[in-house]
Amino acid sequence: MVAIITTNLLRRSGRTLFTASGIAVGVATIVALLSFTQGLKETAAGLVHLGGSDLGVFQANVSDPTVSVLPDSTVAGLAGRREVARATPLLLIVEGIGSDPAAIVFGAEPRGFFTRSLVLVQGSAHTTPHGVLVGDRLAAQAHLRSGDVLSIRGHPFAVAGVYHSGILFEDAGAVISLAAAQQLTGRPGEVTDVVVQLAPGARASVASRSIVRAFPGTQVITDPQQALRAGANSTLIAKAILVIVVIALIVGAISVANTMAMSIVERQAEIGLLSTVGWSPLRVASLILGEGVAVSMLGAALGLLVGVIGAGLLVGALGVSAYVSPSVTAWGLGQGLLVGVAIGVLGGIYPAWRVTRMTPLRSLSIR
Amino acid sequence: MNAPAGAGVIVDQVSKRFGRVSALRELSLRVEPGEAVAISGRSGSGKSTLLALIGGLERPDSGEILIDDHALWQTARPARARREVVGFVFQRHLLLGALSARANVEVPLLGAGVHRAARRRRALELLDQVGLADRAEHRPSELSGGESQRVAVARALANEPRLLLADEPTGALDSVTSERVLDLLFHLRDRLGMTLLVVSYDRSVGARADRTITLVDGTLEAAGASLHRR
Repeated sequence: MVAIITTNLLRRSGRTLFTASGIAVGVATIVALLSFTQGLKETAAGLVHLGGSDLGVFQANVSDPTVSVLPDSTVAGLAGRREVARATPLLLIVEGIGSDPAAIVFGAEPRGFFTRSLVLVQGSAHTTPHGVLVGDRLAAQAHLRSGDVLSIRGHPFAVAGVYHSGILFEDAGAVISLAAAQQLTGRPGEVTDVVVQLAPGARASVASRSIVRAFPGTQVITDPQQALRAGANSTLIAKAILVIVVIALIVGAISVANTMAMSIVERQAEIGLLSTVGWSPLRVASLILGEGVAVSMLGAALGLLVGVIGAGLLVGALGVSAYVSPSVTAWGLGQGLLVGVAIGVLGGIYPAWRVTRMTPLRSLSIR
Repeated sequence: MNAPAGAGVIVDQVSKRFGRVSALRELSLRVEPGEAVAISGRSGSGKSTLLALIGGLERPDSGEILIDDHALWQTARPARARREVVGFVFQRHLLLGALSARANVEVPLLGAGVHRAARRRRALELLDQVGLADRAEHRPSELSGGESQRVAVARALANEPRLLLADEPTGALDSVTSERVLDLLFHLRDRLGMTLLVVSYDRSVGARADRTITLVDGTLEAAGASLHRR
């Protein structure tokens, strides 16, 4: 059976390849988006644990955690709580560096645990009101060294030193004083979030509930999934993947159904012959269904390959390569493959059903 | 290989229409096990339809067809009956162009779920019987018309049928090749003991058969006395 399926597909190699290519595009898009989302998830883990924190307190119901606004008085309230060991505010400035719009500028208190957690690899940690510490990834990308000048929102900042933290967001960004950040953004008394290190023995889930009760209008993010759910962009991507999966299934299934329907019209005599020599309708239908699935598997294999390459291209095209690395997982590839198989099965069902309705006599055109 | 016994065929008051055309009209016929019957008649007289109905390729509108006293269309799976009892040879060889002669002969065995090694062995044995052992791996495009038809005969014999139905098997062949194919069919019938029904315009078929029946407008015109030799 496998030999007959292979022979039939090779006999119309051009058509097989075109159909497989159509399926490959759909599968590749799905794999690329899944890899991108997985990369976002891993990046979000960094966002949650900025400065080695256990959780982050953000404004509730915001479209994206980076646009959260909290009064800086929140910090004192949090620091005084029993379950909190340390709390420090952050003001995030996105698209603040013209030469690298993906880099995030962190406004942080110089004495807070966030700034203290940075490991200096060059220069000095002591910053003036117009001084900046630069992450090693950003420094490498923008060719910056201590003593150079970095423009943030059009204002010059002297590079005091270069640090490494091991967190992608931080290493691909820069740190200025909170006061300088508030002045730069025109948001005195406001912060984006407060990052918190919990007291020994305190449980994140219990602390989260307690903090939300004590500070109405806030949300506490403790794990990457929460960070992704809190972001409108991530939600949009998740929905986009679902829509693309559905479109790929519909378009792919129609394409396979069309190819197989054309094939059974051309091979009417052959199908009639198989019935004549005693093949059961179920077996003939299996042959047609098998051909549909085989085309789809070929398309899915191509799609997986293109998807892995495409994920990198997608990140580059979106200009987020500084803080999102596409991550290809076995489950992501498996989902792409599943979509491919589903396309073959869905697309093969109608042509397979049609051959079960064909009588051998009419297929052979004899009477 | 055990010689399969021939199957008896009873066609009882069978009618068949295709749209407004009446192909067979209350036709009755009895064929004894092992008998060779030539079926003649003008084009459109219903010869091929009769053969197709006996072979279970189409359901009659009325009447009944019995193979070895079993109603063909009362079995739940006519495909199984075709696989186990009937072999077909058509005017066109209908070989699958992408497959070798051997693989073509294996196709019915594949449908019967025969294991690969056994399929291969049986196909080579049959190709040897029809004189094409040396052409087993050739594709239909590499075979002559007569050779292709001999492969089709081998394919028809793959499942050891007890009833061989040949619909103008020499219609597309020249006279010399036709003779060879007919020699082969009747030789196999004599050797294997199967029942043979051959639709043909060729008078020599009638001369080789036990009897000849003639169809006119879907009915039986005349039936020769059974000269069953077994």
